[in-house]
Amino acid sequence: MFVDRSMTQKVITIRPDESIVKAKNLMDENNIRHIPVVEEDNLLIGIVTDRDLRSAFPCSFYKGEQQAQAHAEMEKILVKDVMTKNPYTLTPYDTIQDALLLIQKLKVGALPVVDKEGKLKGIISVRDLLRAFINVLGIGTPGTLLCILVEEKVGQLKKIVDAITEENISFGSVLVARYWEKDKRAVFPYLLTNNVAKVKKKLRAMGYTLLDPMEWYMDQLPKVE
Amino acid sequence: MKKTGYLYDDRFLLHDTGPYHPETPDRLIAINMGLERENLLPLLIPIHAVLPDMKWIERVHDPSYIQRFESMCCTGMTCFDYEDNQMCGQTFEIAKLAVGGILEAIRLVMEGQIDNAFCAVRPPGHHAEPGQAMGFCYFNNVAVAAVYLKEQWGLKRIGIMDFDVHHGNGTQKIFENDPSVFYYSIHEHPSFAFPGTGRHFEKGSGDGLGYTRNYPVLPGQGDKEYLEILQNDFLPLFNEFAPEFVLVSAGFDAHVDDDMSDICVTTEGFNTIMKSIVEIADRHSGGRIVSILEGGYSLRRLPELAANHVSILLK
Repeated sequence: MFVDRSMTQKVITIRPDESIVKAKNLMDENNIRHIPVVEEDNLLIGIVTDRDLRSAFPCSFYKGEQQAQAHAEMEKILVKDVMTKNPYTLTPYDTIQDALLLIQKLKVGALPVVDKEGKLKGIISVRDLLRAFINVLGIGTPGTLLCILVEEKVGQLKKIVDAITEENISFGSVLVARYWEKDKRAVFPYLLTNNVAKVKKKLRAMGYTLLDPMEWYMDQLPKVE
Repeated sequence: MKKTGYLYDDRFLLHDTGPYHPETPDRLIAINMGLERENLLPLLIPIHAVLPDMKWIERVHDPSYIQRFESMCCTGMTCFDYEDNQMCGQTFEIAKLAVGGILEAIRLVMEGQIDNAFCAVRPPGHHAEPGQAMGFCYFNNVAVAAVYLKEQWGLKRIGIMDFDVHHGNGTQKIFENDPSVFYYSIHEHPSFAFPGTGRHFEKGSGDGLGYTRNYPVLPGQGDKEYLEILQNDFLPLFNEFAPEFVLVSAGFDAHVDDDMSDICVTTEGFNTIMKSIVEIADRHSGGRIVSILEGGYSLRRLPELAANHVSILLK
């Protein structure tokens, strides 16, 4: 779960002395919202975002001569004038969880990844993290999700896994999540089968509560304000 | 009254999925029993399963896949890639017979010998992809049928209505770029049910954009929602598309008493679905419908569901 496995390695970068017009073109052409700003030797000195550019650019409704004039002005504004200097960074050996927490905390869309010398190695964005979690959860692989409510005590998952394994069913993934009742856990096994009727009956017979799918919540943590 | 064909063959019972599988030969016995109980069998024109020209199956499935299926089957493997796909020594032959019988049903309809047909086949087909067996399915029956209609009979607009409670990922994949085959599916939302595809934003691609339509329904929903979807979405879209032929992936597993899903369609709800399909076919396709069995696992409900299905075709 290290950042370097999920980050984008072929990073589009820009030099501090380029114009913001070039930065905007790069974003449009590559469908990205963040460009790390580097000096010689790929040394990271800043990051420029589409928001930085949007606040620098004049009204997009300008037409004709007004537009040409504004454009000429923009050519004179340099990336170093609008970029965020010395941005927060991650290293390749930080984890995906680090990336999630830092992005959440800073409310940013992406973080540059640098080595010990401060040289740019990659960039990890919210989109990279989404892709990683889509893969981890196996969303889109054929299977059926169950939601089982269990008492919070040691050994519950083993019983569930054993019961499912006895039916010769493979697991795509298992998520054990906090539940909104105290001392309860919600277990979400993603089973690689179309055939869950029998195993559902079996789990009920073992005394487990299978939650109504409409009652599922992935996000039941109390919100920390 | 219409001339309705009925494809059934005792050999479909030979596809043995083992003792613990829901897709059992008993399903077809239940269906037959239902038709018999309602005295429908004498009204139906029997269609016999024959082996198909393999070129039609090869138009949908990779030759290497067909070969792998045959050799695994012949060497006595009891499972094909996934545990879901239980098989026996006869499965390959039976899967071919199912396709062959369906093509026969289509030929009879196209030649005007019958108006429509119900094909009570095993194994089912709509999950099967060009190179992958999945969800109890080996050959994609309905897809081969659509290709046959296009290429053998020169049809330009074929509508497939899939009301099995699971999304027909295979059928969608095979025709997603093809504007001549409109794939319409109502199914339990893929975040809660197999196979995890069929989200509302999957609409086809390339030339086929707009000719795939997915309508996921949520666990606990039933007749009311289905009626709304049929009236406000399915009927307008198929009226606009005006299919020359309607194929049905008829799965009865959205029934409230079927424990393979969380959807609560009643027997009456299934009648409503089928009447909408017949309405489309009568208006645009000269009544031409071939309905092909997919899922449906409640042995208690299958007799009445199949009897009603066939009665609506006969009307």
